[in-house]
Amino acid sequence: MTGFITSLGSAAISAYRAAIELWLVYVGTISGIVRGLQRKGARNRGEVWRQLYSIGNRSLLFIVVTLGFIGMVMTYQACLQLGRVTGDYSQVGSQFLRLIVSDFGPTLTGLMLATRVGAGIAAEIGSMKVTEQIDALRMSGVLPIDYLIVPRFVASIVMTLMLSILGGVVMWRAGGLTAEYSFNVNPNTFYDLSFVRFRHVAMFVVKALAYGAAIPVVAGFCGLRARGSSEGVGWATTAAVIGSSFAVIVLDFIISASALFLTGGDL
Amino acid sequence: MTAYIEFKGVTKAFSGKPVLRGMNLAVAKGEVMFIIGTSGVGKSVTIKHLIGLLRIDDGEIWFDGQRIDTLPERAMAPLRKRIGMVFQSSTLFDSMTLAENVALPLRKHQRMSHAAALAEAKQRLAQVQMDDYADRYPAELSDGMRKRAAIARTLALSPEVVLFDEPTTGLDPVSARRVDRLIRELAEKLGVTAIVVSHDPPSIFGVADRVAFLYQGVVHAVATPAELKASPDPVVQQFITGQSSGPMETPGF
Amino acid sequence: MIGERFITSIGAGAVRVTQEVGGIFVLTGQVLRALVPPRIDGRELVKNLYKMGNKSVPIVVLTAFFAGALMMLQAGPFVKKFGATALAGWGAGYAVLREIGPILIALMFSGRVGANNTAELSTMTVTEQLDGLRALAIDPIRFLVVPRVIAMMVMLLALTVIGDLVALLGASIIGKLMLGIDWSTLYHSFRDNLKPYDFLHGIYKSVAFGAAIAVSSCYFGVTVRGGAVGVGRAVNAAVVAAAVSIMLIDFFLTYLTG
Repeated sequence: MTGFITSLGSAAISAYRAAIELWLVYVGTISGIVRGLQRKGARNRGEVWRQLYSIGNRSLLFIVVTLGFIGMVMTYQACLQLGRVTGDYSQVGSQFLRLIVSDFGPTLTGLMLATRVGAGIAAEIGSMKVTEQIDALRMSGVLPIDYLIVPRFVASIVMTLMLSILGGVVMWRAGGLTAEYSFNVNPNTFYDLSFVRFRHVAMFVVKALAYGAAIPVVAGFCGLRARGSSEGVGWATTAAVIGSSFAVIVLDFIISASALFLTGGDL
Repeated sequence: MTAYIEFKGVTKAFSGKPVLRGMNLAVAKGEVMFIIGTSGVGKSVTIKHLIGLLRIDDGEIWFDGQRIDTLPERAMAPLRKRIGMVFQSSTLFDSMTLAENVALPLRKHQRMSHAAALAEAKQRLAQVQMDDYADRYPAELSDGMRKRAAIARTLALSPEVVLFDEPTTGLDPVSARRVDRLIRELAEKLGVTAIVVSHDPPSIFGVADRVAFLYQGVVHAVATPAELKASPDPVVQQFITGQSSGPMETPGF
Repeated sequence: MIGERFITSIGAGAVRVTQEVGGIFVLTGQVLRALVPPRIDGRELVKNLYKMGNKSVPIVVLTAFFAGALMMLQAGPFVKKFGATALAGWGAGYAVLREIGPILIALMFSGRVGANNTAELSTMTVTEQLDGLRALAIDPIRFLVVPRVIAMMVMLLALTVIGDLVALLGASIIGKLMLGIDWSTLYHSFRDNLKPYDFLHGIYKSVAFGAAIAVSSCYFGVTVRGGAVGVGRAVNAAVVAAAVSIMLIDFFLTYLTG
């Protein structure tokens, strides 16, 4: 019994330490951005563009495919169930859009990016760590966080927002096509914007930005912690995928719950 | 007399770059043959062909009167029980203790129960003076110890031929000499035929019966160590005496 | 000019994807062939079951809880507004059992166990342990890959079952705490509106997801090239492939089995 409590305790302590380190990486990233802005002719612009390309362009097809399919499936399931219970499809489109804007659009995009971008960032930074390139950076007087994580942070925030918009549109269109062809729902009925309120759009933006910020910080953190050789890189990449995905889900919950609270239970 | 192991005109290229260009080598039963040469010349590639980890582009490979380069992967199993290989990186399985590592081939091929295989494995480890570490994991041990355990594992199925890929590279001098002695004992006491890839001079001159010098994709010279040392060939001399400059072409350096 | 490079990269990407998909099918064939006759290394199987279960239960349970809670957050207020609190359980539960549960759990599993598996196998490949097995006349597919594929499929199935239940629990707790819907309403809502087939629908999917995650994870592990950098890339490729497969399979299964 004591053994169990000891292991629980030490797990809690190491989790606490990891959380502190993670927070430090985040703070370091923000201060890195501030430092970068203060410098005239911010020197790492090229890197930011490269990261924008790396994250955005290369995830494009991935996001379109995955969100498209999931949009079709969700609409199909919803219509199927509605057919069972009420037979009334008039609300499907508008409610689906509300859900896409307030939740599924950013969150599903975020989850997909957590996998793809999170793994990519951790793999890159992790390999650099185990081949001692990070130490080499430090020796030449460059802060790894400034050089490696800040550009990815900036790029990720921008790209997550843009890809969420794209993903949401793809989901919506795919859902509409499904409703039209499988359930004969009139497109005019489906593509109905009337239920979308400002607060939904606000939630969309907040979530997309939050996920965009969280993924590179978590992934970069895992990458910088890699130790050993190939095993270490493997571990870092795995931890990054899990960490970023979980962060997305938790942030989703926090933001949604807060929104619910603030609007007094009216979503 | 036909050789026990024979390479005839073996050719192999990687992504268009030729490595072996019509290599010929005959190894007699029970002898310790060293293959030496500069880095990247194709020494490891040569021995990997013997157990089918690589496939030749052209030529023939013969073992004990049977042609083996044309065997499909599925037919390789009996061959691999007769020819064992000790890899450069020891390749012990990280997730198993030393005893479990050595027991694995016993369990798989001799249908032993787990307990019986472990007992047998401990005996094999004792032969290489590693039985005290039988229950440790490879990551906890030094390179020299891992190498000896890897040899024990390769010997578990009592192969007739053992291939060694740079067995002493990266080891401290004492461990290296112990490995040398092990190889010598294998040949003398167990009649094992050994083919050793090496560029460690004390090993070459202390252990080998014959040495094959691989250069530019062919066996440039094959002789006993003494004959090689006395060779008038300038290329051989440059390698043996370890000169950085001379008639040898060292592409890619 | 930019367009040209774009098209070339799409072409190259398409070739690579085709190669990978082909390779995965080949591996699937090898795995299936190794199952007939089923001579599987029992120790490896048990070892993997234990390892994968251990690693994944906490994170999956947590994720499932949040997923259920989220669904209730979305469905609950809507249902409450129309006074149909009795349907709250249906609203959240249906989505959870059929879609959100299996998909999220599979994604988390892919990240936790799939990625880890790829990392292990690729490290073994890079350090020549796989060649070492071949040199001992042991087939790496039969010895390493098959037990892992079976373990992953079994584990994901078990986790989906557990996860589904936890998600429903999460949904209930949120329903009570934040929306004030009481337990008995929720319980009856679940019982009256959710059919066993809804549950099974999700389970069938998890079996298919398990197979896809397992095979792609092993494939990228054993075909890795190039040391530490290669390992990172292999894990990256494995999780992306798993995510896409999950979405595609979900799509096809939903349409096929309704």
